[in-house]
Amino acid sequence: MILQTLAVAFFGLVAVWFSIVVFRTKSMVRSALALLGAMVALGLLFLALEAEFLGVLQLMMMATEMSVMAIFMVMFMMDPGGLGQMEMTHQKKLSLVAGIVGGLVAALLALLVDWGALVQAQNLDMPERQNYNLGMEIMGRSMLIFETAGVTILVSMIAGTLLAIVSRTQTTEGQE
Amino acid sequence: MITLGLGLLLLAGAYAVAVIEEWATTGRLRPAAPLLAGLALLGRESLVPRKADRVLFEVAPVLFLVAAVASFAVLPLAPGTAIADLATGALFINAALAYVMVALVMAGWGPDAIYAMVGGWRFLAQLVAYGMLVVMPLTAVAMRAQSLTNSRIVEAQEALWNIFTQPLGFVLFWLATMALAFLPPFDLPTAPGELAGGVEGEYSGVRLAIFRLARLTLVFSLASAITVFYLGGWLGPVLPGWVWSILKTLAVASLMLVGGRYLPRLREEDLLAWAWKLGVPLALVNIFWVGVTLLLVK
Repeated sequence: MILQTLAVAFFGLVAVWFSIVVFRTKSMVRSALALLGAMVALGLLFLALEAEFLGVLQLMMMATEMSVMAIFMVMFMMDPGGLGQMEMTHQKKLSLVAGIVGGLVAALLALLVDWGALVQAQNLDMPERQNYNLGMEIMGRSMLIFETAGVTILVSMIAGTLLAIVSRTQTTEGQE
Repeated sequence: MITLGLGLLLLAGAYAVAVIEEWATTGRLRPAAPLLAGLALLGRESLVPRKADRVLFEVAPVLFLVAAVASFAVLPLAPGTAIADLATGALFINAALAYVMVALVMAGWGPDAIYAMVGGWRFLAQLVAYGMLVVMPLTAVAMRAQSLTNSRIVEAQEALWNIFTQPLGFVLFWLATMALAFLPPFDLPTAPGELAGGVEGEYSGVRLAIFRLARLTLVFSLASAITVFYLGGWLGPVLPGWVWSILKTLAVASLMLVGGRYLPRLREEDLLAWAWKLGVPLALVNIFWVGVTLLLVK
């Protein structure tokens, strides 16, 4: 129990530290990978909280997402390598206020809400039980929600790709 | 104790892969060659390029090795013999493999060199595309086993191996693992003769040794994954389970290393187009097929 608390605290602090690095660095790629570091720390924190599926899913999804984000930033930013000492922050006052208020609200929620008694691991196959329950939830009661969200994301991805492709006729007309 | 034994096995497996790889490439069987090459690499100077992004440059080979070892950790060698037989094992292996890509992107960006960078970004696209062909066939495998635990997946193949019940998934998974381990003809991130080594081009000495070891470990680990998910893992007559696991894994690794040598390297756009336009629909067909057979057979 003590070990678990220590692990949770440790990974929490690692996540905060990486989040600070995201804004302290000058390089886009470093910034994206630092964000990945924060997400990995959160994934490990989930594992420490015995939410195995959630933790592994977090580790899996974030690796590709953050790397894809890195290449997009390299493509679109004028100084991806940070050679020109590019600043990662903007609207400093607003973001400071928003950050502090958001942090305080989160901390207050964590302290004030009555979370109930701690759930102890009853048996060794608890993660397997979690997976089973999650599957039953997704394929049962919440199926419509997940299906709707999934199809919406797919449609927006296809639409985004179509918008990004320059049509051939348009290009030739433009050249004329 | 099991962890130590499996760690040593992984090391021995990576060594065997190195011997087989040289045998497949040069046609000469020299069991001591990887050891000598490794020692030679350790003795050489490990250069750091000018203006390297030092953190990414140093972390990349180590992260690569960690990811390769982590992907092996959830694969059972025999009943009850795995470093960590997680309840989410089949998902965890995907998570571990995703960090191979992160490591290669780091190795591409880190040295501040054009060929390395091209190689790194190539592998990003390659993994995002072929990662799909790892996850989706595994979904069908998990469907049959009714579990994400890898030892359960092996036990579910007691009657018939998955290679026979879902051959399409097997072929897709096989190709995807070859793309993930960037073996020929999928060796776009390193691309000897075109990118001059690509992601590993700027590495030398001990760093290159770690990089190579990580790649060999990854090949062994992926061959082991094919064995567990499709070839019945430890199941087999007469011999003890762990012997079957090792024999099957080595056979798969040999085929992976030999097969691609006779094919020309694919072009990046063809590679990606085939994965998205052909591979993903076929993987969906596979899931549908497995679902229908499961409902009918039950």
